[in-house]
Amino acid sequence: MSKIGVYVCHCGENIAGVVDVEDVRQYAEQLDGVTVTRRNLFMCSDPGQEMIRQDIASGLVDRVVVAACTPRTHEPIFRTTLEKAGLNKYLFEMANIRDQGSWVHAHDKYGATAKAKRIVASAVGKAANLHPLEDKFVDVTPAALVIGGGVAGIFSALELAKMGHKVYLVEKQPSIGGAMAMLDKTFPTNDCSACILTPVMVEAANHPNIELLTCSEVADVNGYIGNFNVRIRKNQTYVDWNKCTGCGACAEACPVRTANEFNGGMDHRGAAYIHFPQAVPKKAVVDMSVCINCAGRKLGTEPRISKKTGQPVLAACEKACPSGAIDRSHHLPAEGTLRDIEVGVIIVATGYQVMEKENFPEYAPDSPNVITALQMERLISATGPTGGKLLRPSDHRKPRTISFVSCVGSRDVRHHTYCSRVCCMYMIKQARLIKEKYPDIRIFMHVIDVRAPGKDFDEYYTRARDMGITFVKGKVGGMEILPADQVRVLGYDVDLGSNIEVDADMVVLASAMEQPPTAKLLARKIGLSFDGAGFFKELHPKLKPVETAVEGVFLAGCCQGPKDIPDTVSQAKGAAAAAAIPLCQGKVRIDPTISEVDTEKCSGCGICTPLCPYNAIVLKTYSGRPRAMIDITQCKGCGVCTAACPSAAILLHGYTDVQILSQIAALTRAA
Amino acid sequence: MEQFGMYLGCNIPFNAPDIEQSFRQTFPNLGVEVVDLQGATCCPAWGTAPSFDINTWLAISSRNITLAESEQVDIMTGCNSCFGILAEAKHMLDHDPGRKAQVNRLLSKADRKYSGSSEVYHVAHVLHNKIGVEKINASAKYTLRQLKVAVQPGCHLLWPSAVMKVKEKNPFFPTMLKELCHALGAETPHYSRLESCCGMGAMRSTNQERALDTLKDKLKSMKEEIDPDMIVTTCSSCYLQFDNAQKLLRDKGEIDFAIPVFYYTQLLALCQGLDPAQVAAISETPRDEIIVRIQSKQRLLN
Amino acid sequence: MQTVNLTQMDKEGIAEKVIAMGGEGLLNCVQCGACASVCPVARAGFSLYCKNLIKKLQSGYMEEILEDSSTWACQACNRCTEICPRDVKPSEVVFAFRRIQAEELAISTSAFTPLMSLYETGHAVYNKRSKELRKKVGLPETPPTSIGDPKAVAELQKILDDSPMAELGIFLNLMSRKQEK
Repeated sequence: MSKIGVYVCHCGENIAGVVDVEDVRQYAEQLDGVTVTRRNLFMCSDPGQEMIRQDIASGLVDRVVVAACTPRTHEPIFRTTLEKAGLNKYLFEMANIRDQGSWVHAHDKYGATAKAKRIVASAVGKAANLHPLEDKFVDVTPAALVIGGGVAGIFSALELAKMGHKVYLVEKQPSIGGAMAMLDKTFPTNDCSACILTPVMVEAANHPNIELLTCSEVADVNGYIGNFNVRIRKNQTYVDWNKCTGCGACAEACPVRTANEFNGGMDHRGAAYIHFPQAVPKKAVVDMSVCINCAGRKLGTEPRISKKTGQPVLAACEKACPSGAIDRSHHLPAEGTLRDIEVGVIIVATGYQVMEKENFPEYAPDSPNVITALQMERLISATGPTGGKLLRPSDHRKPRTISFVSCVGSRDVRHHTYCSRVCCMYMIKQARLIKEKYPDIRIFMHVIDVRAPGKDFDEYYTRARDMGITFVKGKVGGMEILPADQVRVLGYDVDLGSNIEVDADMVVLASAMEQPPTAKLLARKIGLSFDGAGFFKELHPKLKPVETAVEGVFLAGCCQGPKDIPDTVSQAKGAAAAAAIPLCQGKVRIDPTISEVDTEKCSGCGICTPLCPYNAIVLKTYSGRPRAMIDITQCKGCGVCTAACPSAAILLHGYTDVQILSQIAALTRAA
Repeated sequence: MEQFGMYLGCNIPFNAPDIEQSFRQTFPNLGVEVVDLQGATCCPAWGTAPSFDINTWLAISSRNITLAESEQVDIMTGCNSCFGILAEAKHMLDHDPGRKAQVNRLLSKADRKYSGSSEVYHVAHVLHNKIGVEKINASAKYTLRQLKVAVQPGCHLLWPSAVMKVKEKNPFFPTMLKELCHALGAETPHYSRLESCCGMGAMRSTNQERALDTLKDKLKSMKEEIDPDMIVTTCSSCYLQFDNAQKLLRDKGEIDFAIPVFYYTQLLALCQGLDPAQVAAISETPRDEIIVRIQSKQRLLN
Repeated sequence: MQTVNLTQMDKEGIAEKVIAMGGEGLLNCVQCGACASVCPVARAGFSLYCKNLIKKLQSGYMEEILEDSSTWACQACNRCTEICPRDVKPSEVVFAFRRIQAEELAISTSAFTPLMSLYETGHAVYNKRSKELRKKVGLPETPPTSIGDPKAVAELQKILDDSPMAELGIFLNLMSRKQEK
């Protein structure tokens, strides 16, 4: 006969405010197999855990039921308690009388208490039938993959590299740097984005432990914590990077002019181009989607021989290249090349995109002088399309009046309900930078309210007011296009209680940060889930902010939610620290609450194999006949195979038929 | 010939019957048969039933729509207000079965039942999307080449876009009416107050002075920014406001110019060579001069 | 004192009433001001319009604003509804408030004539000169609407006679005149 201890937690007022915990304890006392019942204000506190330890040590208890909160956060804590007291930690069961009791039935104390008793009875029923289980361990591949080479990915990679771990840093673009590389200066210190980022980019590129894979994407991910197999696709660059010196001669020679994404489409680049001046690695690529195959140099064809000179007629880019890195005679595959790598952990740092102005019909998207804030960053940046001179796009004249419009796509049920967190501050930053350089430009900031909660942020905002920047509280509802490409902003001043209009030469939309659509593809490959706002979901919003539901996969930066640079870097370092744990331990624990096949009972029918969502089951020959075998590293213990097996040959440890039936019996018996 | 149920409303048959005449004469030239909705009442106007009780509004609106349902035609309205009222009513009825049942109970007193089988369109929708600019262009005998038009689409044709079957690409910068004018050869330069309110209707009946101010703002934007030869609208309320209230502003000395105003089909009728004494005969802001210019020999096509 | 003591404001039932009358989004509003920025009524300088009406209703104002006829200037242009970032549908709150005003007969005087005309002729707008105008442009004196169709008017009156509008007594004179006939 088992000796079950039942420990009822008050959880402060969380449970005891609704559920009569003493009544629950007394009820538990008379349940079969229960030898000890106790309650405590916080069972998870030291005194609470000590209570359990002593009962185990003195032989009063050999099974433990804690009636408290969710096993998601607290099961590991109490399992450790059992372990320390010398009891197998799987002889533990949690009765969640908070989430399923007091919280959901806050207005029905009697009903909540009655339900708590049933939940406890069910847990006790199961506890009587628990068996000891043993953890299993597998080795960890000593390498990490960081997906995304923005500031989050760079810092995650560098932290891990400095700890001595091998890191693959994968970036889709030709250069690392991400969105931060596009920014002019950064709030609240006004230090130049490129000045602080470029050295870190170089450091990452030069670090012996970091292997930089730019122009590359994750094609496929298999495996599990400690042993991920990742297929990387290196997209075709059409330039031999072993030879390319980044001199830029090809970019200059290329006759194609296409919108330059790096500068927000406000100037042009060639089909052959270098991502941006401080690119790391500084290598050229050829964008075949716009290449015109000049000199008839279609890829993979031999050059024509000039009748005049007897020399081959080359395309502009290959002619210009001094190091012979471009040779169009080769038939380079458009789909690039594949490479498989093995890593123990993955950090996802894929960043964000800003909403384009076309999403906002009420804000005159057809006007060239309505731009997004990211475009404004390029317009005031020394490396931007105007060399840092603020000129409006329509006529390249200096604007006299600028309106900044906040909450464009954020806090808006038509687009995104969340606050993008950084817009107020970067708008203020841009306004201040402009005002410092051109004090005569009138600047109006249209805001619902100013959100400046970071360190030194509010002071930064207040200074903007001192500088003569006008803040208008009231969301802009519309815009009209005036002659000479001016834009009339239709606003409302909440403080004046009056409609206002601004005849602006330029309008800057602080458009929302959002998850790019490509994130869905990556999520499917890795098994990541999304939160309500569409960003990758962390395992716990407070306690596991960089972990995900996929063990061994971590999050950093804006792919988890909008954040500024300081928060991004903090999170990147946090993700690196969390990812380093399995790398340092060298082994990862495999939870024993997974399925196991009884090969004697298995008929080899194969029903289970296609049902497994983790591809963990294969049919193998055993004594000459096919039998299902479960890979313990792949199995997540979901129970699908157990339920489906017609021979009842698959056991799910921790959820055996006896255990579940005893729970049902207890639930239906309890009064 | 494709048929549409012609929902006239109030202002068109009683205050601007030359617009009604322009419908009756231009549509057959474009291959559309105008079917009368015998016994149609007011839509009902925003200031009446919709301001008192939603179900009474929906009962009156749906009664009007049942007239089209029994003729097995879709509705086309010439007035933006009527369009807004009927389109919103239809949207509510078609998306809320409970509401539809309640309204049908009210409607049963008039021995009628709303089913939802007829769509609600505006004349502008029929012209732009059902007939198309090519046919309109082909029907014209006179061209408006080198004439500048200030277009006035009117609010109820723009918002709320959720209730409309035919939508502008960008309702804040509408282009349908511009394209209809281009089909007749006219230029339609942009003016800033394109989408703004004319001040007609509820505003004018509540406070004429403020309504006139609202119109003046719009007229000044037209005059100062593009100096148009005429104003063209597809809303009968806007039409009356621009025509009649423009005169009031002149009489008060608030403005010193006069811009002729046409409902689009009146202009179309003139281009089709129809008789101005029937299709463009009633106005308070003079337009005889521009009518003569439009139907002049130099403008004859081929 | 011009100071409003919020603890003394009696909000009881006001939001519920507005919501029941069709202003379903009332409580979604965060007073961002977008609706007012494009509202013709606000732009023209009327005292009560979408944004401040919503705030007042949220705060428990009712009697204080019941007689303000500004709300009757709303054209129902719905531009506010098109752009509202909180899906308040401000124009519907304005119309819900108008319906509450109507219950208290706090109706803009300009609304009465069209109402009477609607009941009598089926048309809120009717111009006695219309016969002459119609003849002038070559149309029959009477259009094919309810104006020349007593059966249609009778159908409309059946709908109106049992409506909450009739309960306000605004059609009483007309209804008794009809019975005399």
